[in-house]
Amino acid sequence: MAWYDEDSWATAAFAPKGSTIAVTFLLVVLLPILLHQFLYRKTTPTTLPSFLLIGPSGAGKTAFLTLTERKAVAQTHTSTAPLAVEVLLPEGHTPQSSHYRSPGDPAYERSRRFQLHDTPGHGKLRHFATTQLANPTSVRGIIFVVDAASVAEEAGLNETAEYLHDVLLALQKRYTGATSSKGPKEIPVLVAANKMDLFTALPPHLVAQQLEKAISEVRKSRAKGLKDSGPALGGEDDSLDEEREWLGEGGEGSFEFAQMEEVGTTVTVQGGNVIGGDGVDVTSWYEWIAAQL
Amino acid sequence: MLDTFEILTTSGVVLWSRRYSPVGPHIINSLIRDVFIEERVQLHQDDAGSKPTYRREGYTLKWTTAKDLGLIFVAVYQSLVHMTWIDKLLENIRALFVGLYGEQLKSKPSSVVNCAKFAPYFERQIQDLEQLTPPSTTILTPPSTTDNESADESVPAITLQKLQKPLYDTSADSTPVPTPDTSRPSTPAQSHLLAGKAGPGGKLSRRNKKKFAASTSAPVSSGDEASVKLKGKGSAKKNRVWGDFGAEEEDPSVVLDYSQSDLRDEASEGEALAEINPESWGSRTGKGQFVLKDLDMEMDQIIAEQNAKKEAPASALSGGGLVGSSLGAIGGLFRNVVGGKTLTEEDLAKPLKGMEDHLLKKNVAREAAVRLCDSVKRDLVGLKTSSFTTVEATIRTSMEKALAKILTPTSSLDLLREIQTVNAAGRPYVLSIVGVNGVGKSTNLSKIAFFLLQNHHRVLIAAADTFRSGAVEQLRVHVRNLQELSKREGGQVDLFEKGYGKDAANIAADAVAHAAKTDFNVVLIDTAGRRHNDQRLMSSLEKFGKLAKPDKILMVGEALVGSDSVAQARNFNQSFGPGRGLDGFVISKCDTVGDMVGTLVSMVHATGIPVVFLGVGQHYADLRGLNVGSVCRLLMS
Ligand SMILES: Nc1nc2c(ncn2[C@@H]2O[C@H](COP(=O)(O)OP(=O)(O)OP(=O)(O)O)[C@@H](O)[C@H]2O)c(=O)[nH]1
Ligand SMILES: [Mg+2]
Repeated sequence: MAWYDEDSWATAAFAPKGSTIAVTFLLVVLLPILLHQFLYRKTTPTTLPSFLLIGPSGAGKTAFLTLTERKAVAQTHTSTAPLAVEVLLPEGHTPQSSHYRSPGDPAYERSRRFQLHDTPGHGKLRHFATTQLANPTSVRGIIFVVDAASVAEEAGLNETAEYLHDVLLALQKRYTGATSSKGPKEIPVLVAANKMDLFTALPPHLVAQQLEKAISEVRKSRAKGLKDSGPALGGEDDSLDEEREWLGEGGEGSFEFAQMEEVGTTVTVQGGNVIGGDGVDVTSWYEWIAAQL
Repeated sequence: MLDTFEILTTSGVVLWSRRYSPVGPHIINSLIRDVFIEERVQLHQDDAGSKPTYRREGYTLKWTTAKDLGLIFVAVYQSLVHMTWIDKLLENIRALFVGLYGEQLKSKPSSVVNCAKFAPYFERQIQDLEQLTPPSTTILTPPSTTDNESADESVPAITLQKLQKPLYDTSADSTPVPTPDTSRPSTPAQSHLLAGKAGPGGKLSRRNKKKFAASTSAPVSSGDEASVKLKGKGSAKKNRVWGDFGAEEEDPSVVLDYSQSDLRDEASEGEALAEINPESWGSRTGKGQFVLKDLDMEMDQIIAEQNAKKEAPASALSGGGLVGSSLGAIGGLFRNVVGGKTLTEEDLAKPLKGMEDHLLKKNVAREAAVRLCDSVKRDLVGLKTSSFTTVEATIRTSMEKALAKILTPTSSLDLLREIQTVNAAGRPYVLSIVGVNGVGKSTNLSKIAFFLLQNHHRVLIAAADTFRSGAVEQLRVHVRNLQELSKREGGQVDLFEKGYGKDAANIAADAVAHAAKTDFNVVLIDTAGRRHNDQRLMSSLEKFGKLAKPDKILMVGEALVGSDSVAQARNFNQSFGPGRGLDGFVISKCDTVGDMVGTLVSMVHATGIPVVFLGVGQHYADLRGLNVGSVCRLLMS
């Protein structure tokens, strides 16, 4: 039976039969509905702007997340898995994009929603954060939480500086490696100096200063350090190993957060505390978030 | 006595906790770090089937997990106390919690779980389990209850009775008279307890104390006067008798806690009381009983349901006729390809065996391969494969993760910065190298020296191998070469030697002193190679560690070595005496093994100590840092 026969499917498809009409009708009605559903299920979850919580273990990332979600801090322990929750910007802060909208406007309410991504800070579990950094779609900003009290000590400072260095370097690589001429969307970084309630905590400007100094050191020793084993073990010739990347534009000398602006990353340092005897103070962080929304 | 029970998520949020006495958060943090993240602690299992334990600072921790929901259940108690029912408690609480709140947890990612009403279930479980086991003889101070918040929620289970009663009367025929008064100001409960202990009722049984804890946690909040049950254990009397010390105030009264705590075995007592005062007691008791029965039944039901769920997949496979089983098989096969299959131990067994063989082929020691596979199994059993992922692929990703986790160092290994820090303290940085014979200790030492010279350090190389003939000469040649090379690079290098036969530890200490005097800022100490099972030579390492006080001790291991690597790493790590171990590994001759780099994994597995350097060739510049990603790729290829 060929396609041009009397009773072939091609003939039937064009014949004025009841069944043909019904099938066509169903197709016409259902196809757009299915398409709509398919498209919207795909897109809705990704549109929410999100903020990444990064930082060494014990800095207070999870504590800040619980504070934002439920307006009170829950007890926390070392995290071993990431967590992403949808939260609302607290009252009293207006998202940058909705400055001229009035509260109650649905668009205003919508703009207050965002996602917080908590990542584990333990040395072995930082890949959760770094994979997020490698492909930061819908990431509006990075909140690097620092324990301002542990930064007062050498060991804590070094660990924090190394992690921050790696985060900033990843952002820089993303910027310089971008193919489009305009460069990718800017991702700002907030260095949230937490635990200001503690007696031993450094004030925010000192946290910034110490971190800049420590990052200069990290940068210097990274440049001088050994090459890594990747190419050598992979059986490739590693003599033409690509130049190691140097954080921040400009040559030698000390690192400053301001240098990051040239590669599309503004670094802001703000103090606060998630827990404290005299109340919680994280308004400056929320203000920063509001400015990015 | 239980100190703390916590239910937390893997993301670090405590969902529910019950605190009997304060336990610092660092206790549970170190459990998470040592057991879940670094997998460093070799868990000692008391006997087959019991849950693993973890000890720290006088506490014993037991735990269980609900993997698909990302929950961890931890019980903390003092190591001195022997608690036999903790395993059961963990099991039951897990079943209960998952049954009650599993849906809520699955519905939306959030750190909030509305589980304030969990307290009565928990208390009831504890009561049941404590009753099942004979009361232990260890009497501890009564628990302080700090969890008022959750206790407030336990209202449905607790009915209060206040009985008027003469002071100190503990005789069996005392008549409890209910008073409707419930608005009296609360008085501190603990003081009553202490007084009550001295009362004629004598020793409190463990269970009664437990009851007391339950009664104080709730009634205090409702403004009642707390009191003590003074029922002597094993006495023949039917009534509970309540001593009260608030009696000097207006009216002597007693709180009769008809909570969940005293139902099962004391129903008869309830009847006795009802006889005396039928109207009030009957109804109240009845009501209380009803509420409690309800709770009990609900609890049993939830636990049974959860247990049934666990067994369901197994029975589903075995059940059904020919058609059923073949359909099941096809379905399983389909799900295997498409994903969405819940993994059981049987599903994993075969692919994991394959994975183990693959790792063995990559020269990973059997012990390490088995551990990695176990860790993958623990990771995956009970999980659903994601869509369009086969079991094999799931295992693969999980194994890659496990490898990356084991190889990634906990803290950074920046030698240059460490040197800087130590020098800033005004002393030379001391690094020493140990290892078995012929693995390339001297060669790798020279490579490290070359690297340091490139960074303009002044390096003193100490020849502490006073054993093997030719060792000093070999180093002398290296030093001459390095001096030649460093002329161009800047930096300064010299050899410190005292010939053969002298004590290595003394030479090393002398070298450090010499370096401090003559302004060298790094001392590299070469030691004699020794078999790791040679007791005599290994024991001299302890003295060496004490005298030379190296900042870093690196062990050189050959990439070629097979299953011996585990024993080597372990023995060297333990040879420096308590409180000192290796700081890292240098794996030499990596260029000769191609992709069979399993030795790295074996050594790190045995000790939890990171790989710092890799030797990849014959030249001084052929030293590399570890790239975890590339090693994982090689191992999985
Ligand atoms: N005093 C004080 N303590 C704080 C503050 N913020 C957090 N903490 C405490 O710091 C500890 C660690 O907080 P977490 O939020 O669990 O730390 P984290 O950054 O999530 O750490 P990881 O999950 O291990 O990466 C908790 O015990 C908090 O109670 C603060 O502002 N002040
Ligand atoms: Mg956390």
